[in-house]
Amino acid sequence: MADIEFDRVSKIYPGSGGALAVDSLSLAVADGEFMVLVGPSGCGKTTALRMVAGLEEITDGTVSIGGAVVNNVLPKDRDIAMVFQNYALYPQMSVAQNMGFALKIRGVAKGEIARRVNEAARILRLEEYLDRRPKALSGGQRQRVAMGRAIVREPRAFLMDEPLSNLDAQLRVEMRTEIARIQRLLGVATVYVTHDQTEAMTMGDRVAVLRGGVLQQVDTPQDLYDFPANEFVAGFIGSPPMNLIVAGLEESSGVLTARFGDQSLAIPERYRRTHGLQQWIGRQVVLGFRPEDLVADTTASEDLLRARVDLREALGSEILAYLAITSTTDVVLDALPSTDAETVRKRSRVVARLSARTDVVEGGLITLSLKTDNLHFFDPASGTTLRTAG
Amino acid sequence: MSTATLEAPETPPVPVKPTARQVRRRVGRTILLVIMILVAGVMLYPFIVMIVTSFKTESQYLLGRGTSLQSWKDLNQTLPIGQELLNSTIICSAAIFIVLVIGGAAGFAFAKLPFRGSNFVFLTVVSAMMVPLQAILMPEYVNMAKLGFTTSYFGAVIVYAALGTPFSIFLFTTYFRRIPDELIEAGIVDGLGYTGVLTRLILPIALPAIATVTVLQFIQIWDDLLVGLLFLQNPSQRPITVGLAALASGRVTSIPELLAGSLVSALPAMLVYLGFQRFLIQGLTMGIDR
Repeated sequence: MADIEFDRVSKIYPGSGGALAVDSLSLAVADGEFMVLVGPSGCGKTTALRMVAGLEEITDGTVSIGGAVVNNVLPKDRDIAMVFQNYALYPQMSVAQNMGFALKIRGVAKGEIARRVNEAARILRLEEYLDRRPKALSGGQRQRVAMGRAIVREPRAFLMDEPLSNLDAQLRVEMRTEIARIQRLLGVATVYVTHDQTEAMTMGDRVAVLRGGVLQQVDTPQDLYDFPANEFVAGFIGSPPMNLIVAGLEESSGVLTARFGDQSLAIPERYRRTHGLQQWIGRQVVLGFRPEDLVADTTASEDLLRARVDLREALGSEILAYLAITSTTDVVLDALPSTDAETVRKRSRVVARLSARTDVVEGGLITLSLKTDNLHFFDPASGTTLRTAG
Repeated sequence: MSTATLEAPETPPVPVKPTARQVRRRVGRTILLVIMILVAGVMLYPFIVMIVTSFKTESQYLLGRGTSLQSWKDLNQTLPIGQELLNSTIICSAAIFIVLVIGGAAGFAFAKLPFRGSNFVFLTVVSAMMVPLQAILMPEYVNMAKLGFTTSYFGAVIVYAALGTPFSIFLFTTYFRRIPDELIEAGIVDGLGYTGVLTRLILPIALPAIATVTVLQFIQIWDDLLVGLLFLQNPSQRPITVGLAALASGRVTSIPELLAGSLVSALPAMLVYLGFQRFLIQGLTMGIDR
């Protein structure tokens, strides 16, 4: 049985002209599962989380916790604990008082409160800070106290609203593993909201990608990466994101070819079956490939891509080369849904993740080969994947 | 391996000449200090005169020489000073309590629980601050007299509370708007209702606002004469200011005795101000940083 379940949940904020913040969301979080809701700002992920917490009214549909519909249940009776973005620690209370406050309200005996607070402090390595006030703690310590406040409740579910976004980059990486460790240790169903796809990929058992209030795809991190359901997911998951190019699909002498600008790429035969490409011959598709599938080894038998290097980013372990690619036609771009300027921009630029020793010069020409075993094809009009099997 | 050491060349200490900017700043600060001393003198002079004169008899006051405790003894006999101080304390405390309770609750609602038309209601309430006491005094008196509230503390307490509440609501609303919503939501998820959130989470961190309202209302109510004069008809309930007014309006007024009474009257307000001064500055300047 799912521990948390959204069943066609919608949210319309009154006074916003009837705009849907969350649109018919159906999602089940299993007992002990770490579910990450990820998406850009305004995608409805926080609203969805707040509806589980009972901090937002549900316009339509039902939210269940432990099999019981909680639409009309007060937040305090939902048996959930929430970690907020700015931690929301009570400034007038010590760390121990902050952590034990919810138990105190519920009339739990003092001894039991102390036991649970000490246990949580041990897990979170906060024992020596129990008497301090929040203002005397660092950002990472405050974050751990916020976690501790949730842990001592021993709730049915944890809800976390971008809990790492106020931390610096190094601490964020540390806390990422720390939160994942604690969640696995406690085995409590968790809904974690973030806009950071790296957090989503590294922490979640499954990741739900939202956009404009609509669930795009929910899957394991690896499957999201390998089999994105649409262009948005392909472009959102992965850093740098997947390269997406509008290409014309042609067939000559029985060989499928994707043509964009003055480049052409032979498409392996298996994609005809797995992506139903036969019916797209003579039409345009969006071709997708990951930056790591472009390699500088031009002796390989793979297809070659020639382009000018716009920008070179040396990251030490690797080089990111941004290449100017001529897309098929501007007409096609105009015909696309114009809401996502970012996606359109990406289509005229390709990024390659190359080894640190590759000779890459800004402004120079480079020839790369493209591994064709992980190509993606999307419908240019709807953005959905053309994959039908395998 | 050779090593090299760097040594600073020996140079005689050169006296540092202040730059023109430093000189200008020093002169500016000195002028400011002189002005502040003069202003402080102007402010403190009446207070010093009050203290000095209160320790004189009438004749010593006229002669300008000598000290005596006579005027303090006379004051104690002429006025029921203890009772009047108690009356003022009761009226002040009760009115401030009401102002704080209503202001805190309403401020929380206006700041954190917006409802349809809440901004309009807030502006209406706050605009009541602009209505002068004198404009509503007579209608208020008629109301209170009809209700029979002019023979007890209650009438004056209610009037003071009504006059102080708009400012209190304004101040609390401004203060509570700065408190992040997440703090309230954390309390709700932890199991509190809105009343619990207000009393257990919000008010404990609203000390500057509480102190500001308390001090300003205390000074205003303690020093007020008009409401006490009108709404407290029973002489045994009159506050210190009304007692002093009665003393001043006597046929023969002893200036040292009157100033001794004024000193007694002024001291509590000054002590409250000095005690809460730190919070008062925080409370009055809140909202200007962000």
